[in-house]
Amino acid sequence: MSSTSSGIVGRSTGDRIILILVIVLALIMMAPIAWVIALSLKDNKELMTDMNSVFHAPYTINNYINILATSSVFRWILNSLIVSGGLTVMTLILSSLAGYGFARLNFPFRNALFIIVLLGLAVPEQAVLIARHQLFSWLKFHNTYHGLILPGLAAPFGVFLMTQYFRAIPKELDEAALLDNASRFKIFWKVLLPLTIPAQATLGIFTFLSSWNDYFWPLISGTKKEMYTLTIGIASTQTNFAQSEGLGFLMSQAVFAGAPILILYLFFQKYIVTAVSGAAVR
Amino acid sequence: MTAHIEIRNVSKRYGSLTVLDGLSLTIKANEFIVFLGPSGCGKSTLLRMIAGLDSVDDGTISINGERIDNLPPGQRDIAMVFQSYALYPHMTVADNMAFGLRNISLPAEVISARVAEAARMLEIGHLLERKPGQLSGGQRQRVAIGRAIVKEPKAFLFDEPLSNLDAALRVRTRVELAQLRNRVRSTMIFVTHDQIEAMTLADRIVVMNNRKIEQIGTPMEIYSRPASRFVATFVGSPTMNFLPIGLSGENGFARARLPDGTELQTAIRLDGINGSEHSLGIRAEAVKLANGTAATTTGKVEVIERLGDRTLLYTRLEGGSVIIAEDVGNSRVAIGDEVALALDGARTHLFDAEGRAWHNEGVGHG
Repeated sequence: MSSTSSGIVGRSTGDRIILILVIVLALIMMAPIAWVIALSLKDNKELMTDMNSVFHAPYTINNYINILATSSVFRWILNSLIVSGGLTVMTLILSSLAGYGFARLNFPFRNALFIIVLLGLAVPEQAVLIARHQLFSWLKFHNTYHGLILPGLAAPFGVFLMTQYFRAIPKELDEAALLDNASRFKIFWKVLLPLTIPAQATLGIFTFLSSWNDYFWPLISGTKKEMYTLTIGIASTQTNFAQSEGLGFLMSQAVFAGAPILILYLFFQKYIVTAVSGAAVR
Repeated sequence: MTAHIEIRNVSKRYGSLTVLDGLSLTIKANEFIVFLGPSGCGKSTLLRMIAGLDSVDDGTISINGERIDNLPPGQRDIAMVFQSYALYPHMTVADNMAFGLRNISLPAEVISARVAEAARMLEIGHLLERKPGQLSGGQRQRVAIGRAIVKEPKAFLFDEPLSNLDAALRVRTRVELAQLRNRVRSTMIFVTHDQIEAMTLADRIVVMNNRKIEQIGTPMEIYSRPASRFVATFVGSPTMNFLPIGLSGENGFARARLPDGTELQTAIRLDGINGSEHSLGIRAEAVKLANGTAATTTGKVEVIERLGDRTLLYTRLEGGSVIIAEDVGNSRVAIGDEVALALDGARTHLFDAEGRAWHNEGVGHG
């Protein structure tokens, strides 16, 4: 950060070009977001008559008030929090345990099982959708929290990530703890798991984000209004002519749905950047 | 209570690969014993088997008469210092040292007292609240030793603990380990491939090679009476000189004919010697510059190593063999000089083609 505070002065020509390119790219990336936010702050009728009005006052928060006035919106937020939070916590627990097992324990068919888990990465959700729907229907899991959470628990990426992370931890730590009279669970819980916090943060953020933004499975499984997640709920409020008559409202819905993610990003920015850059290096 | 360790016919195999083969050894209580050998000789495996980190395929390991090879590592009352130190990175120094004690549910005041005492002994009291990542290599090493000390174990195991330190720190830590050994009276087993560490620290050295014990003895026994050519080669710097010889006898003692044809009378009794293709072993300090009739042979100096207190002369003899001779620190010999050398026949060793050794009392260690 100190280098940026010195500004563009004193940099080499190459650095300046790269910096300008990065700024331009950042502006391009930010433009749609700024556009959505600006539209969300405009009156719907005004937007219908003059799109250029987005560049000047008056601005209004009426669209957001209208969202909050929808009776079920807080229920949908709660549903999303329960589903995304529950899924994240359980994915972290299961992926950590599975990763530890694959990385540290010797058991029959370990490598074969690991490959089978990895093959899960190659199976698209759509391929299993009908079978899953029928199974969940038979089990009467639709319109329940566990019905929304369970499919996400099969997380081959999480297992893979945690396995690789546990493998990278020196085995001498396990051995030192064994000599320190620690049980296997204590070694996992007190010695190894705390060392995987960066990986847990990465996995947790990715899981939460993808679950929060998920539209497909909640659309199928949560068919009752009180079981909608935020994405489904907000989509359900759209009228047939939303993109013309209610553009501001539509955009405010998008901002509203995305705000928790933005807040999450601000809190865990360091881990997200590390995760993404780490993935790029690997 | 310290450990009297009995290792009986211990073997270790990984699939079809035999790592240790029927090895037996007794380690006395309070003894500082060093496993010395090249990489892959099995010394670390043996240490890990004593610790319980590797299983024993055949044989038994006992401490004070009780078999321990079937016990989990934590119940053997043994502490180990790892080559990589293996400190828990997320715990403070104090927590690292206390972790093992908490696991056996010692009272908090006992844990605090032990940690404080070990920290005082190792002069790491000011580091107790730091994490391993904030410590230098030497400090981490001390913490690792401290973690072992607080457990007050029957035996300490050290797996090449000095190998990650720079040369100067290694020497200093070696001295500190020797001092520590005097304060903490306990059985200590130290694994290294560094013969200087072995010679300076050990009560007895176990020289290992190729899955077996080559020799067990005090440092000076190992140095002056190597049981095999391997031991003679591995221990001592510079390495022992070996010259192919023809063997004859005179008054019951072996007489060696050197490659250049000169004869050297040894003090090795002839009657115990057998085997074929003998070679003469002699350390550099038994090969001195000579003049006149004292000279055994002559050669041309090819390389000079000045070590300060002495000078090593790599000299090619007429028969083509190279012998390392020792001269005083301020030697005036120059490369290319023809020098006369006196070989001390009383300090020679004989080896046969299989590496068996005979020394000046005619005792075979083959």
